[in-house]
Amino acid sequence: MSPDLAFAVFAGSTVRLATPLLLAATGELVSERAGVLNMSVEGMMLTGAFAGAWAASATGSPWIGLAAGVIAVLPVALLQAVLSITLRANQIVTGIGINILVLGATTLAYRAVFGSRSRTEIPGFEKWSPPVLGDLPVLGEHLFRQVGLVYLALLLLALVAWMLRHTALGLAIHAAGAAPRAADKSGLSVNAIRYGAVIFTGVMSALAGCFLSIGDIHTFTEGMTNGAGYLAIAAVIFGNWRVGRTALACLLFGGATALQFQLPALGVDVPNALLIMLPYLLALIAVAGVMGRQHAPAGLTQAFVR
Amino acid sequence: MTAAALEASRFRPGPAVWVSIAAVAASLAIGALLVGLTGVSIPEAVAAFADGAWGSPYAIGASVNRALAFALVGVGFVFAQRANLTNVGGEGQIAVGGMAAAAVALHAGVAGWPLGLAWIVPLLAATAAGGLWGAFPGWLKARAGTNEVISTLLLSFIAVWMLYGSVQSEALLRQPMTSSSTLPESLPIPDAAQLPLLAPDSGLPLHVGLPIGLALAVVVGVVMSRTVFGLRLRAVGLNPEAAKRAGIPITASIVAVMAAAGALGGLAGGLMLLGEQYVLKAGFSSGYGFDGLVAGLLARGSIVGVLAAALLFGFLRSGGINMEMVAGVPSALVVVIQGLIIVTLAGAALFIDRRSARA
Repeated sequence: MSPDLAFAVFAGSTVRLATPLLLAATGELVSERAGVLNMSVEGMMLTGAFAGAWAASATGSPWIGLAAGVIAVLPVALLQAVLSITLRANQIVTGIGINILVLGATTLAYRAVFGSRSRTEIPGFEKWSPPVLGDLPVLGEHLFRQVGLVYLALLLLALVAWMLRHTALGLAIHAAGAAPRAADKSGLSVNAIRYGAVIFTGVMSALAGCFLSIGDIHTFTEGMTNGAGYLAIAAVIFGNWRVGRTALACLLFGGATALQFQLPALGVDVPNALLIMLPYLLALIAVAGVMGRQHAPAGLTQAFVR
Repeated sequence: MTAAALEASRFRPGPAVWVSIAAVAASLAIGALLVGLTGVSIPEAVAAFADGAWGSPYAIGASVNRALAFALVGVGFVFAQRANLTNVGGEGQIAVGGMAAAAVALHAGVAGWPLGLAWIVPLLAATAAGGLWGAFPGWLKARAGTNEVISTLLLSFIAVWMLYGSVQSEALLRQPMTSSSTLPESLPIPDAAQLPLLAPDSGLPLHVGLPIGLALAVVVGVVMSRTVFGLRLRAVGLNPEAAKRAGIPITASIVAVMAAAGALGGLAGGLMLLGEQYVLKAGFSSGYGFDGLVAGLLARGSIVGVLAAALLFGFLRSGGINMEMVAGVPSALVVVIQGLIIVTLAGAALFIDRRSARA
């Protein structure tokens, strides 16, 4: 493999592997900025992955799968919102509970629908090359030829960055997380903002899950998110609650995962386990404060009572 | 509420106990309903469940051993919770405990040691390894303000993959490769390092880990409610700023309690290896750490509560596994039931707190 080609393949798989993290982390960022540490990203992704796979295999259309994934996540997101916002339950406990519940429920449903340990190929999205970029030599084929959801993720990331920085809604979200009492006094409904933020996280996580099942590998396996939701949360912390740095963290984690497939192909002998744990290790280094002290929204994890 | 009243309220069945029992009962009922939906006859599933959970001395012993691991992790969770710390790292602490116990039991030449040292030393190594694995996030929390939920969780993933890597490499814990079909797992633990059984002739696979675990649960309970350290933890948990002004060493308290919680998890890993599994392989911790965490969560700060929840989950898991093998009901059902219990109790916390405050 020539160095150019190797790099293009590496860059392409980095972007592909970073996409689910990018989608989920963009959602999680909004929720955390509004003051809710939404630990149930993992469960929300799994919900999206399963519902997407189910509907896509039942109808043969990945688009219907995508829609089903987004719809199926709504009750999960609503449960998280009601528990952590209205009932003021511990956000970490509810998140972990929902993750366990979804893991069990999707496994049961998967067995009921697809039978035990089947590896049915599910109709998924085809890869697509954007005009101009797709015509570039080497890079066009290996970096830019991606499932459309990859480009959607980048678009949504840009939109959220713009929304947080330049709109009244962005300011309101920021206020709900950083100074809920002041936000309330100025006439904003803190809890309504937080409900919206959690549901937005749910939708983004469902897209991330759909990317995994019907975008990337075209199948569903039990517990297939396998910690990706927690990595998305780590990316937000790594990113110090800023959009740009969070996106960078996702790419970094994606790149670390891509090395798993790249290094053996280049003949570099590194223990597989080390490469698999690399994203978690990087995330740990980041949250350990090596990158400077983190500034979490002041109201994060605190339920708001008027 | 004074400390004495708080103490008393823990032993009087208050709203927390009734709500917990109701949540468990409702979740089990939903579980039964789901069994019905899968098309398996409910009596058949229940019979398979009962058989696997308590149908024979072996089944009872297996359930109790499982509960023991959950209880140790759960007791550690409750201990750290006293200082308002959430240790979700049980899974990783079990994994490093298992690795340390395997390394010492297999490669430190313990087999000939007298007086039970052949199993005591590996257990101590497991406890120490878990303690370090727990102390590190405590130190990060105290020094850099790192959220311990995230750091313990990340450390869990890291430890689980470390274990996976350690049994892949002969230089680490993998058994010598004699053929291409040699499994990626450690050598079996030698007889001398296996935990002595409490009643070798009864068919009950209970080992010395049980009295050790129970004794530690009592010790932690006493430390929490009757010692200066316990009081300090509470102060740190309630208001770190005030605790600091009162001269309580915050960093030391946080690191110490997280180390203790980790040590209990590490010990659980050591007991699992030396008392039950006897071979270290990928998937060793298999969710025990998360079950222990859940037992700790549900206990709402009470050691008795941890033991009760751990027993419940121990029997639930054993029964669930048999239900899958015999009646074909996926054991994921047990996971659903667990999730329902946590979510219901988390949602009921506000209600429980209000009722408790009124009582």
